[in-house]
Amino acid sequence: MKSKIAQARLIFTVVTFSLSSLLYAADDWGDDAWGEEEKQGAIVHGFIETAVGSRVSDDALISDDLSLAEVRARVEAESYQGDLRLSGKVDLYADGVESGLDIYLREAVAEFSLADNVDVRAGHQVLTWGTGDLVFLNDLFAKDWVSFFAGRDDEYLKAPSSSIKLSAYGEKANIDFVWTPIFNSDNFISGERFSYFSPRVGTQVAAPNGKLVPEEPSESFSHGEFSARIYGRSQILSGRSTEWALYGYRGFWKQPNAINSNNQPYFSPLTSLGASLRTNIASGIGHTELAWYNSVDDGGSDPLIPNSQIRFLMGYEQELISKLNLGVQYYFEHILDYDALAANDGGSIYRPDEHRELWTLRLTYRAMQDNLTLNWFSFYSPTDQDYYHRPSVKYRFNDQVNLTLGGNIFGGEQPHTFFGQFEDASNIYARLRWSY
Amino acid sequence: MFKLISITSLFVVAVLSVFKNVYAADLTNADEIVSKANLVSYYAGNDGRSEARMLIKDAQGREQKRQFTILRRDREEGGEQDFLVVFSRPSDVRNTVFLVAKKPGGDDDRWLYLPGLDLVKRISAGDKRTSFVGSHYFYEDVSGRSIREDSHQLLETTDKHYVIENKPLDTNSAEFSRYIAWISKANFLPEKIEYRDENDTVYRRVEVLSSALIQGHETVTKSKVSDLRSGGSTTLEFRFQNYDLGMDQAVFSERSLRKPPREWLQRGQ
Repeated sequence: MKSKIAQARLIFTVVTFSLSSLLYAADDWGDDAWGEEEKQGAIVHGFIETAVGSRVSDDALISDDLSLAEVRARVEAESYQGDLRLSGKVDLYADGVESGLDIYLREAVAEFSLADNVDVRAGHQVLTWGTGDLVFLNDLFAKDWVSFFAGRDDEYLKAPSSSIKLSAYGEKANIDFVWTPIFNSDNFISGERFSYFSPRVGTQVAAPNGKLVPEEPSESFSHGEFSARIYGRSQILSGRSTEWALYGYRGFWKQPNAINSNNQPYFSPLTSLGASLRTNIASGIGHTELAWYNSVDDGGSDPLIPNSQIRFLMGYEQELISKLNLGVQYYFEHILDYDALAANDGGSIYRPDEHRELWTLRLTYRAMQDNLTLNWFSFYSPTDQDYYHRPSVKYRFNDQVNLTLGGNIFGGEQPHTFFGQFEDASNIYARLRWSY
Repeated sequence: MFKLISITSLFVVAVLSVFKNVYAADLTNADEIVSKANLVSYYAGNDGRSEARMLIKDAQGREQKRQFTILRRDREEGGEQDFLVVFSRPSDVRNTVFLVAKKPGGDDDRWLYLPGLDLVKRISAGDKRTSFVGSHYFYEDVSGRSIREDSHQLLETTDKHYVIENKPLDTNSAEFSRYIAWISKANFLPEKIEYRDENDTVYRRVEVLSSALIQGHETVTKSKVSDLRSGGSTTLEFRFQNYDLGMDQAVFSERSLRKPPREWLQRGQ
């Protein structure tokens, strides 16, 4: 393993130097731009990216100061066979922190129409719905928190899953139905790249001893994930076009937050129902979303299984002054049957609060003909008294080359809270990408 | 002799009537001229399709490019209409889709689909006068500024142009204090538009560089916007334009954001 990582670091160094020389490369498309692409067979694109990130302070549990050191070559191919669309996206990467040389399948889908108003999208794919900005209630598709915390491109926050998506479109409403036959959890913080707080042990832990290795649900039809959305647009608010949606999910919590009889973490069953609205308000966009997470711990008395929750979000964003956009969100999580939990967990000092509140702030400023983007995103919880700041600067040298500098800064009053536990994961990073 | 006179007089009558027609064609009502120009620029046919590419130059001469296909359908002549813009280049904006439901007199509905995240993002109606994908064009230039947002005054009628002054009714809604449009008397295309700031200095110019008659509609095939402050400019070329293809309203829905309608995006309908 160690030699694989050393190898990955060597590749990382070589490619970083050669990529830097491309900064001011010519940006010709190199062919007849009016040529109709589809008639040229498969369309191939992609990028080569090198990224490096470092902790801003030591993590006593993880000797490596690097939180990110990788080179990634993405190949994307798209092709049409009549009305059938095939699309594939693959990353070959050399990861100098965790896994050495590896292949990551981002997308492998076939898209076609079953009828005039029914589409199918089958295969390995990224799926997103809901109204939140980096806050997810009814979107229970897999997230990659390790990539998000490490400073990879935003797109990696959404992890792909092998699913079949069926979409039917009507006059008044549309329906999406997604079946993921094999449960696909979040890529959660497992103690490898970043350490985390274990309430069981009562302290911060990391790999190898503290590596979080949950029990996966066995593979069966009933252990698949089923997600549905009914949605549409209507003029319910004084002539404004309002987007409404109802959501349902049957599957498992996406993080291993239950403990089995062998004292091993696992993903306990979860069903959820929810709704959202999004519309123009004043000169901005307002959204609100509600979700009821119904856990299997009926009555909430089992402290080893998460209780049911109500989650609520409201947010608003608008342009403050030219090129400067502001977005604010308020979110809460309310644990149901909290008294039963409190009466049965032996008075745990790490028990989450009954009511967790979270505010988010996004400021985006674009300058230099949109080639420079300054972005600031903050999570702040007044109830947990912790925070997570995500500043970033992106500069687009030309159509091919861009550079992103950013940080992931965590902190809090207590070592066990949602963001507070990641204080030692705080990092700054740089990414240089050449697209083709 | 009599014959000659009558021929001459016929000729004179004919010439006079031509002149009379020319004079009769001179409009004097600014709102009427602007309304015609709006129809010619943004409402040709009931629907339309065009491929487009932009060459963006900054003051240092560095170039960037964008390529996309635009679909449009009118719900009402001169009124509400829908646009779908599907990007094909460069590769970092490939398959990004932009959807607008334009509502003159109200707030437009606008969405952006980001394929990497499978995210349908709604964009507020407020920031229409910001750069369209890094070019010197604004979002509002693509779908058209509602003529109800400005007051219009005919400054001058020249041989070839109606010269119209436009002032925003809500001065906070735009970065200009006024703009002057040179609208062709022959075909009502606004051939040149100059935007002036609060000091009445021209800082932005949009020009039609070429146009062609397509299915009976005078259609811009090349235009340019110059940012006179920064020295940057964007040239926009259109090709493969067609009108009245018979697009359905359903083409302009969330379905098309995730699955762009190939039936209409491909050439040669």
